[in-house]
Amino acid sequence: MTTLPIAVPPAGDAPGTAGRAFGEHGHWPRKPRTWPRTVVIVAVICALTAWSAIAIQVDPATLIRNAHNASNTLVQLFQPDYTFIPDTADALLETVQMAVIGTAVSVALALPISFVASRVTNPSTVVLGIARFIMNVVRSIPDLLYAAVFVTVIGTGAISGVFALVLFDLGIMVKLISEALDGLDRGGQEAALASGATWLKADRIAMLPEVASSYISQTIYVFELNIRASTVIGLVGAGGLGMLIDKVRTFYQYHYLSTIILEVLVIILALELLSSASRKRLLL
Amino acid sequence: MSQAQQAAGIRFDHVGVTYANGFVGLDDITLRIDSGEMVAVVGLSGAGKSTLVRTINGLVPISSGQITVGGVGLKDLRGKGLRTVRSEVGMIFQSFNLAKRTTVINNVLMGRLYHTPAWRTLLAAWKRDDVELAMQALERVEIVHKAYANASELSGGQQQRVAIARSLAQRPRVILADEPTASLDPPTSHVVMRDLQRINAELGITVVVNLHFLDLARRYGQRVIGLRGGRLVFDGPGADADAGVFESIYGRSLTAEDMLPGHQQAAV
Repeated sequence: MTTLPIAVPPAGDAPGTAGRAFGEHGHWPRKPRTWPRTVVIVAVICALTAWSAIAIQVDPATLIRNAHNASNTLVQLFQPDYTFIPDTADALLETVQMAVIGTAVSVALALPISFVASRVTNPSTVVLGIARFIMNVVRSIPDLLYAAVFVTVIGTGAISGVFALVLFDLGIMVKLISEALDGLDRGGQEAALASGATWLKADRIAMLPEVASSYISQTIYVFELNIRASTVIGLVGAGGLGMLIDKVRTFYQYHYLSTIILEVLVIILALELLSSASRKRLLL
Repeated sequence: MSQAQQAAGIRFDHVGVTYANGFVGLDDITLRIDSGEMVAVVGLSGAGKSTLVRTINGLVPISSGQITVGGVGLKDLRGKGLRTVRSEVGMIFQSFNLAKRTTVINNVLMGRLYHTPAWRTLLAAWKRDDVELAMQALERVEIVHKAYANASELSGGQQQRVAIARSLAQRPRVILADEPTASLDPPTSHVVMRDLQRINAELGITVVVNLHFLDLARRYGQRVIGLRGGRLVFDGPGADADAGVFESIYGRSLTAEDMLPGHQQAAV
């Protein structure tokens, strides 16, 4: 009680004795040599880039050769025709509606699937593996491809667009939420399981409240994505502003096209302001 | 709370635990804890005290031997049978293990999950009686005024008392506590230990508590169990745990560091 034994380190560890082994200039460990590896990595990346550029014939000269053509188009693009705005109202509304429905359906489906696809909330490795594999496949298909497939199967229009958005969002949402679950503190869950709860009950009561804020935050993010995506998927006939863009572009109506581009810009900016404000209010 | 279930006794018969990596957590432990006892388990990190406590509710499965809790054998018990035993055994953790982003009352209601149907759980539609029980449990640890506060707003000591309330809401026959004071400062440690002592005395619930500090163990454990390398090296009244016993548990003589700060003079 009176004496605190202080460990005496073995003599070999004392500075100055073992240090001689490192050489004349001191006993500090020498900085490992990493530059040869860095050189190799940079060289490989440069080679890959050059090879890709040559393969798809990147030629900056074509840009200059077509400058006259481009300037005509650009002049029209910089003169948006605001009288066209009323004619875009229907398509614009449709884009927003598609985004709302797509978001609502996908985030509702994504919540239970995320719990199945997270290592932390699903004790069955088999079911986990199956869920993750399916979601990887769903996520690997781009939104435009989904839209093209649904337009072929169901026909042109907003309903194909909504189906495309739901699948596209589902892939993203499940990935984000299951990863959020993976990173959570499992204390509450452990306590619930120790009190005789099933995994379903423990996940619902102890894990859902913990992941709720990222879920809301990602829902807003997915809605933003959907506004952007629903303008693009219209190009293949899946409804919304994209279909209108495709129409005016086909007829070289660049005054109209720039009006639509401006509209999309305004909506996305407004949405970003709205989402950052709501995030702040939710203290995310 | 007054109609708490009959406390349960615990029996270890030649219990061994070997982890997947080959580490021996417990080695041939035979031990009998009577219902209503308050037992403190001491030992170094890795001595097996956490393993010992966690075998009693099956959080750590045993490799050999048998444990019975209130007459039910735990060896190879799974599914509904294991959940039934767990529902009768409350557990308190070193890091409190609350769901921090929900209310205190929701955390206490977790203790009722075993008795709550799945549909009610999914809707968080708790039974009125269960809410009543949870409130009574919070009242017992004097924190009922925080029922609708977020768990994250509470101090460490308050969080641990919510965890105690959660285990009380189970109407347990046994309460296990795995280093319940290791994340707390000395005065708060005593508050939590006194809560456990009171629960043991007033409700007659069997309490098994792991402690790092020997002075807390001697002060609050009617009986002290010492583990070293997964083996039982001491089992007796707290008063008998003298310096010699300490050396057999910790493998060296007692120093001031083994006492909770501020209590050096009180011990050994």
